[in-house]
Formats: sequence, structure tokens, C-alpha cells
Amino acid sequence: MLFPTIDFGLFFAFSFILVWGLNPYNTVKKYVLLALSLAFYASWNWRFLFLLLASGAISYVVGLYVDASAQRPFRRLALGAGVALDLAILAYFKYLDFFIAQALNLAHMLGFDLPLGFVNVTLPVAISFLTFHAISYVVDVYRGRIPASRSPLDILLYVSFFPHLVAGPIVRAHEFLPQLASPRRAGDFSFGENMLLILGGLFKKMVIANYLAVRFVDPVFTDPSQFSRFDLIMAVYAYAIQIYADFSAYTDIAIGVAALLGYRFPQNFNQPYRALGIGDFWRRWHMTLSRWLRDYLYIPLGGNRHGALATTRNLMLTMVLGGLWHGANWTFLIWGAMHGVALVLDHAWRRSAAFARWGEGRIVRVVDWALTFNFVCLTWLFFRAPSLDAVGQFLGGVWTDNGAASTMPMVVLPLIACGALTQIAPSRARAAIGVVLDNRGALASAAFGFVLLYAIIVMAPSTAAPFIYFQF
Amino acid sequence: MAAPRVKPPSSTSPWAWLRVLYAVLALTVFAFPGGMVDWLDERNASGWLSGPLALARGIDAASAAVGVKGVGEWLRGRFATFIGDADT
Repeated sequence: MLFPTIDFGLFFAFSFILVWGLNPYNTVKKYVLLALSLAFYASWNWRFLFLLLASGAISYVVGLYVDASAQRPFRRLALGAGVALDLAILAYFKYLDFFIAQALNLAHMLGFDLPLGFVNVTLPVAISFLTFHAISYVVDVYRGRIPASRSPLDILLYVSFFPHLVAGPIVRAHEFLPQLASPRRAGDFSFGENMLLILGGLFKKMVIANYLAVRFVDPVFTDPSQFSRFDLIMAVYAYAIQIYADFSAYTDIAIGVAALLGYRFPQNFNQPYRALGIGDFWRRWHMTLSRWLRDYLYIPLGGNRHGALATTRNLMLTMVLGGLWHGANWTFLIWGAMHGVALVLDHAWRRSAAFARWGEGRIVRVVDWALTFNFVCLTWLFFRAPSLDAVGQFLGGVWTDNGAASTMPMVVLPLIACGALTQIAPSRARAAIGVVLDNRGALASAAFGFVLLYAIIVMAPSTAAPFIYFQF
Repeated sequence: MAAPRVKPPSSTSPWAWLRVLYAVLALTVFAFPGGMVDWLDERNASGWLSGPLALARGIDAASAAVGVKGVGEWLRGRFATFIGDADT
């Protein structure tokens, strides 16, 4: 059940009535929300419901044990066991075949055979996001940021809440669990702003991302040898816009849907292609992942507390593991390592005397932006290509031109321009329009919402590409 | 003495939100009824959606009769032609 489908439209319309109708009966409402979330997940593959339930059960039990253990070593042991269990489930489903393949390759290179076979298990939808949420809860309890929940219902609902379940944003336990304590107040949210967030997400996904994927990016990456140097380079820029439009659309819709049900999610994107430096990029791109990696990986590794060498090691480890989180493939690992190296250089540059002297100058800022944007686009090539061989073939085509004429459809440039507009539009515009809609009343909101949705459906292509982050 | 109950402004009431949501969805179904008919048809192998399907076909016929369906299809076709995507 994808967001921009009739299935989800009907599901949400039904959920909305139930949730607000039961709002005065908070416990009953949470049971219904859990049932809705399980049904949402089961619409992909009901056989993996046990994963959701197991993850919630592990988090609940470990949280209680960590909270109850007065002695620090036992708390640490319980936390370690809980995190290891979560990671073991993730490793089994997502990485086992990758590591078996590497072991077999290594053994073959060394001239002997290993008695290993692939497990060939289906990758469950949302397993990575599920793991992030589960780990967030037990670590937050360990750190005393939240008390362990006595309610298994709350924990199950936290890990499975359907707006964030499949592709985030990653909502940390201390941000979400307190919201389950009492009935929600519609007055805490702007209907107009959240309707615009959802419709904006639909536009980004159904128009910008789908056209770019179907008309240009997918054909180029499927067989780069058929395309000219210009097309190959433009495909990388087009993919940069596509992945932003696609992923930010999903999280915008998730944030808007959660708000219309009375729950607040953190922001996940803040015009990332305006970033000045890679550090700034990661404060604007997939912000909830960046914060998760910082709080639950980089800082526990030591952060920047033990000198330059240790900081470099911690940054590299964090980014390489962050890359590997996206998928069991060398391309993701290299993508993460490239960002790690860039972050190390970025840190060094921003601490240098040269930066203190010239860093705020207009020309340096323009160069900073251009370098950052083009570097990020280059790394997207590794992210998008199915293998390192495909990256080599792509770069080879850029070098030799493949002797092909440009076949880039005309629609690509306006779409890239639309994507660029999303990066420079005033960030407060949506909130301001939302307030106007709220003050104008239901009729104006309905008319405005219908006109926007009508325009999106008129413009959307018949063929849709799947959400990129569903595979993670 | 209990404080008098104050009715919240319509924009902060979930039931006002509900009216807007359902109005937008209903208008969209009326403007593009083909999608709903196809969606129900695909899921009606055992006939359990015959009632909703008949209703959707009724909406489809009404939308076509007043020309709303035709305008939506025409605009989609024009836009697809305009951007060179008529084959999709």
C-alpha cells in the first residue's frame, strides 16, 4: 500500500474517522492504531508481521530490564543483548547473503572452497527503519532520556506506527512515546499546512520524481552505453533531483498524515542542495538519519572527544556503516566512504585559519556550494548504479561519449528546474499559506485542496516508479 | 460554577478536517472516476465489491454526462502531448 494510491487514500480516510472518533478513549484508540498499522504492514507481506511483533517484544522486555537494573554492568549487558538481537535480525535478512558472497569470493581467490550456501531470504519491507526505532528506544531508556514504558501497546505502536513504518522519518522514542500518553488536540496542528505538505509531497513524487525516473534516469542507468556524454552527465543531475523529490515526498506525506492523526514527527529535509559543505549537507538531508547516526553511533564511538585521528576514524566508521545500511552492496559502502572522507576534509577546512579568514566571503561561499553540490551528485552515481561494474561503464561513457547523439527528453530540464525551485522557495511559505487556509474555513480549504490535487492528477504520468527508499 | 464550553474554531476541529478531506476525495473521484472503477474492478473477482462497483460506475456515468470526466481526460491528454509523453 503505497502513499500515492487509491488504496492508501481509502485506508487513510477510514483511519481518520476511527482515530478521531476514538480520541477521548486513548487506550482504545491506540489499540485501533496498532491494528491499522499491522494491517498496513500486512498489505505487503503478512508473513513478516512476526518481525514487527518480535521487534516490539524485544524492545519492551529489554527496556524494562535496563530500567530495573540498578547495577551498571547489568544494564549495559541488557542493552548490548537487546541491540545485538535487533542487529542480528537485520543482518540475517539484509546482509547474510552479501557476507557469504564476500567469503566465497575471498576463499576462491585463495584457492579453496567454503561449504557455504546462500540463504536467499526475501528482504522484509521496512526492516531497516524498524531496527532504527527499536534501538532508539532501548538506548534512550539506558541513557535515562525516557523511562521504560510499562505498556507493551505503546512500544508496539511506536515501532509499527504506519506513517513512519516503511521509509521514515526516523522518530526517536523520546519524541514519540510521550505523545501516546494522552488524547491528541487537533488545535495543536495546522490543517492547511499539513494538507499542503501532503499535496506538495504528491506533486514531488507523482510528477517530478516519476517523470524523471520513467522518462530519463531509469533508461540511462539501465544501459549507459547507449547514451551520449551529455545525457550521462545530465542523468546524474536528474537523479539528484529525482531522489530528493522521491524521498522528501515520502517523508512529507508521512509527516502530514501523522499530523492529521494528531502526532508530530520531526522534519527530515531542509533544502539540502543549498548546503555549504558536506557537514551542512548532512544537517539538511535525511536529518533524522543523520541525528540517529550521530547520537547512536558516532558519539558512542567517541565522537570528536579523543583527538583528530580518533575523530577521523569515527566519522569514517559512521559514514561507511551509514552507507552499508542502505543496502548490502559495495556501491553503498563506497558511497558512504566518499561522504566520510568529504566530512573529514570539511571538518579540517572549517577549523583552518584559511576558513577563519576567507570562509565567509561571497566567492568562497559560491565555490563551497558548487563543490558540495557537484560532489554530492557524483556520489549519487555510486548510490544509483547497481554495481561497481556499472559505475565503471557509466564513467567510461562519460569519458568516450559512446558516439551517441543526445536523446534527453525536453521535459527533463523543466523538471530539474522545478526541483531546484524547491531548494530556494522561502521555507516559511507553506506555514503562511496554511494559516490563511485555516482562517478561511473548510470551504476554501476543500476548494484549494481539490484544485491542487486535480492539477497533480492531470500532470502525473500513467507509469509510476516505486519509492526509492522502500528497498532499504 | 463550571466554565462555559467554548467551541473551537472550525480549523481546529477534526470534524472540520474530515469534511474537507472527504470533500476533496469525493470531488476527485467525480473528476476522475475511471481510476476508482478500475481499482474496484480489479478487486472484484469474487463479486464482493459489486455494490461499490455499481456506485462507482454510476458516478462515472454522471461525470461523463455532465462533461467533467471528459475535461479531465482531455487535460491529461493535452498535458501528455505537450511534454511529449503521449504514449504513456
